[in-house]
Amino acid sequence: MNRAKTKNSFLKKIDLQQVVIISVLIILFAFFSVASPAFRKYTTIITLFGYMYYILLMAIGVTFPLITGGVDLSIGTGLVCYSIVGSYLINHQGMPIWVGIAVTLILGTLMGAFNGLIVAILDLPPFITTLCTMMIARGLGSILADGMTGVWPVAGSENGWVRSVLKMNLADGTIFPIGMIWMLIIIVIMTLVLTKTRVGRYTIAIGSNKEALRLSGVRVVKWHVIAYMISGFFAGLAALAYGWTFTTITPGTGAGFELDAIGAAIIGGTSMKGGKGSIIGTFLGVLMISLLKTGLPYVNLQANWQQIITGIVLIVAVTIDMIRSKNQ
Amino acid sequence: MEKIKNNRVVRAIGFNRIVLIGVIILLYIMFSVLTPLLHAGTTFVSYERIMSALNYAYFIGFMALGVTFVIATGGIDFSIGPVMFASAVISGYCLTKYNIPLPLCIVISLLIGLAFGILNGYFVAYRFLPSFITSMASMQIAKGIGSVFTKTQTVTWPGTGNDNSWYRYLVKWNNIPTGFIILCLVAVICAIVLHKTRAGRYMLCIGSNKEAVRLSGVNTKKWEMLAYMICGLLAGIAAIFYVGAYTTVQPGLGDTFNNEAIAACVMGGTSMAGGLASILGAIIGAIIVALMQEGILAMGFTISYQYVLTGLIVLVAVTADIMSRKRKN
Amino acid sequence: MGDVILTMKGIDKSFPGVRALDKVDLEVRKGEVLALMGENGAGKSTLMKVLTGIYTKDAGTITYEGREVTYHNPREAQADGIVIVHQELNMMGHLTVAQNIFIGREFKKGPFIDDAKMNEEARKLFRQLNIDIDPKATMSDLTVGMQQMCEIAKAISHKAKVIIFDEPSAALTEAEINRLFEIIRELRKQQMGIIYISHRMDEIKRITDRVSVMRDGAYVGTLITDECTKDDIINMMVGRVIYEDPKTESQVAPDAPVVLKVEHLNAGRMVQDVSFELKKGEILGFAGLMGAGRTETLRAVFGADPKESGDIYLNGSKINIKNPQDAVKAGIGYLSEDRKRYGVVLQKSITENATLACLEEYVKGIFIDNKKERKVAKRYVEALKTKTPGVDQLVMNLSGGNQQKIVVTKWLVNNCDILIFDEPTRGIDVGAKQEIYELMNRLVKDEGKSIIMISSEMTEILRMSDRVIVMCEGRKTGELDIAEVTQEKIMNLATMRD
Repeated sequence: MNRAKTKNSFLKKIDLQQVVIISVLIILFAFFSVASPAFRKYTTIITLFGYMYYILLMAIGVTFPLITGGVDLSIGTGLVCYSIVGSYLINHQGMPIWVGIAVTLILGTLMGAFNGLIVAILDLPPFITTLCTMMIARGLGSILADGMTGVWPVAGSENGWVRSVLKMNLADGTIFPIGMIWMLIIIVIMTLVLTKTRVGRYTIAIGSNKEALRLSGVRVVKWHVIAYMISGFFAGLAALAYGWTFTTITPGTGAGFELDAIGAAIIGGTSMKGGKGSIIGTFLGVLMISLLKTGLPYVNLQANWQQIITGIVLIVAVTIDMIRSKNQ
Repeated sequence: MEKIKNNRVVRAIGFNRIVLIGVIILLYIMFSVLTPLLHAGTTFVSYERIMSALNYAYFIGFMALGVTFVIATGGIDFSIGPVMFASAVISGYCLTKYNIPLPLCIVISLLIGLAFGILNGYFVAYRFLPSFITSMASMQIAKGIGSVFTKTQTVTWPGTGNDNSWYRYLVKWNNIPTGFIILCLVAVICAIVLHKTRAGRYMLCIGSNKEAVRLSGVNTKKWEMLAYMICGLLAGIAAIFYVGAYTTVQPGLGDTFNNEAIAACVMGGTSMAGGLASILGAIIGAIIVALMQEGILAMGFTISYQYVLTGLIVLVAVTADIMSRKRKN
Repeated sequence: MGDVILTMKGIDKSFPGVRALDKVDLEVRKGEVLALMGENGAGKSTLMKVLTGIYTKDAGTITYEGREVTYHNPREAQADGIVIVHQELNMMGHLTVAQNIFIGREFKKGPFIDDAKMNEEARKLFRQLNIDIDPKATMSDLTVGMQQMCEIAKAISHKAKVIIFDEPSAALTEAEINRLFEIIRELRKQQMGIIYISHRMDEIKRITDRVSVMRDGAYVGTLITDECTKDDIINMMVGRVIYEDPKTESQVAPDAPVVLKVEHLNAGRMVQDVSFELKKGEILGFAGLMGAGRTETLRAVFGADPKESGDIYLNGSKINIKNPQDAVKAGIGYLSEDRKRYGVVLQKSITENATLACLEEYVKGIFIDNKKERKVAKRYVEALKTKTPGVDQLVMNLSGGNQQKIVVTKWLVNNCDILIFDEPTRGIDVGAKQEIYELMNRLVKDEGKSIIMISSEMTEILRMSDRVIVMCEGRKTGELDIAEVTQEKIMNLATMRD
């Protein structure tokens, strides 16, 4: 009994799961590099990062509802909705770009607040609530933007600077993935939020034992809503990253994005049962999913395999999560 | 009011279902009035419109019937739409590219649906995974498999007049809506299974109180898994009716239909909390969903409004269900 | 012993149908440990809940530090210095020790939580209590005993003046209990008033200064611990007159065959090496205090929870029960204390519940034979005198007693020979209780069933059982024939630790 305890805490210290992910990442990277010469190029890294930014932002956000023991399914179609509406204001309503950016973020945060209020006050299951808002977001984008396709400024055009927020062209013509620096900063900030602020502390506490938190005199509803607002806000950030990477956004798409993000978080050690999760883990999970997305075409697997892989990875990750939380 | 509710006929059909039939009539009148106003020179009142709405109601109806079983056990299946499309795409590809006989292709379609049902059911019942995440994962797998199998090509089933087009008679034969007849027949079978057999009894009881059923010595895992299998099989059937109505299917799509099928169920009085299910309600719900879709398009709105409406409907229906349960306790 | 710090006087509290507290008095002094004793349901917990503001009292006064107080929730009581250390720990397992102690009142440094300071403060608390726990350890990694120490530290950090311990030692090891007592003595030295709720006689003698006893929601009296014996306390706890006539001798023939034999059953901490026999036509009572492992034992027998080892013999031949399916097939039925969760399917009809355990016998072809199942349901509704407008009535609309009858119906329809009643009359009103008792007697006498009855109610045990098995902390501590049973003997065995 005692020995099992020490062994357990030892494993916890080195976090076996993260070691496994890093090993898998290295193996995958080595595999793609050996299998395909084309993969061993600088541009691959740039493509990889392009995939990574929006998934990472969504995943960081959704880590919070997941830690409360809930989930947010609305981030995928939400991302598309916010991005389309934001760019619509710029392109078709003649608004300055900062209004478009602000509206994108505000819409996301509002959607998060809506989800949070329903979950925290009406006590609806989070997956049903956010499934509904997922449907609503899917239609809302087209309705608000009059059915237009979303287009964000391209490099060189007016407001083209938004492109270089994530991808900077250096003087010698090489591309520098400056977005990665922002991502690292965001990872640091959100790690601090999760581990060092009351928001994070109460998010974990809600997932761990909501009733105990309530009895400690904490206003649980408020912090519960905030967890969902963070998720929504980050879906807004992801909407910007998506628009600034891929330029055009087709209305009605986006379903399935949320699964990449949720899958990444769970791979990274966030538990569906709540109470446990880390931003670094989520980051590693995102790296893995984006590496698969980028690498598979190089080994002659069509892009569609990605969906199958996402599905399988998700089932495997949740099964492992179930077994692990059962053993505790 | 109480008197109406206690009437024998009303109780047999269910008060809620009668209200929904009223809703269908109201919607029809509303669309009939609004369509010419919004779109001068067009009309909603026509045989074609009704047939078109019915075409939509068939496959939504089959999926709604299937997911009713899963919701009855207290679970959910988000994979039915993409599974239906995967079935239609793969079996269609077998038919058109590999020249496999049509009856066999229909069987393939059903088997693909069933396979996904087994996948979902196994992980939910035997591995205790949350049903929503399991079925979302298999939704991705279904989308991917369809695309991989057909190399992302659109598949067009044989059109009317072709040798292999008799499957279309399943949907419509000489202007007779055969699809509706078949849907009703399947619904009757479903109702019998749900309310008159051991399987259905156990599923409903599992949805109400799984632990009590387990402690009564019932193999709950087996019956829970069966619900997902029925759901998958019906998604496979829905596929045949989808192509029977529209012939063309694209791989990698179909997830909007999940929501409409689930909306049809909860509208019809099936409770997301499990234990309470209505087959008749699912059919009526499917007709409402189809009618709404037809009306929204006829009035010149885009399909986006349908997405928003279905989202709101589910949200309101589930909230109402939870509130009424809270009040009872 | 110092001045009086807390006085409760004439506290009344009623719940629908029950008078939980009846003019209860209690007095706590500074620097003393007051034991609060009584059987299950004597009203100890209710009294403490009234004190800490979880329940509002119907009448009576609480005087604390010389002024009259009324708390509306535990937080107000806490702020005033009255803190309860719960039996079930209110911990957030994923957070660290210090984070748990200061949850809801974190120290802050700018926008951030000052974890360093919280760890430091926690360390100070632990030093004050002379405990060695790392404030940075994750709560779920600690043993139950250490978690309890953390709860105490949390209580003290609230500047507590009165600390209530609600059965603190139930989950602790011997060494941990010794630590706990050292801490309690330390707190006593610091002039705190301590209320110590426990069933363990030896502990009461070791740690407490005075003993207040409650029985059936009323205050019985207070003794000075050093001046009384264990028997004095037990007499006060059980000193009621049993009005309903207790069974005086076993109704079972001495040569009745053994229908169920359990040998050396082990299943976790709560079931350790339990062996017993059940004879045909017998009502075998399982007595003991809350948490004695009786429910766990019989759930393991029934296959509802996994067992580690042990053999079960049915009518002399060994059977392997892996899950409830096996048990039900073998003719064993289990009636849980929590009927709504484990017994009936509330939203379904009486008929549907009646045939739940053996639906396969009510199937014609592939269809359920509705007529047949309604007939059998109707038969048992009448036989058990279940009060209902009809067999299509949903079980949720029935009263507790009638719901219990539906569970009995379920097992009778399945023709079970052995019935395990877990607290058969919990939550059932007095009149219906009588009916359940009559029903149980009829089952053994007329139908030849054999019954195992877990009960925490002394009167129920004395009145119904032919033989009584007493358990304490996962072990069988005694077996008594009804002819030799007394309340005192049972209480002695139920509090007997090895």
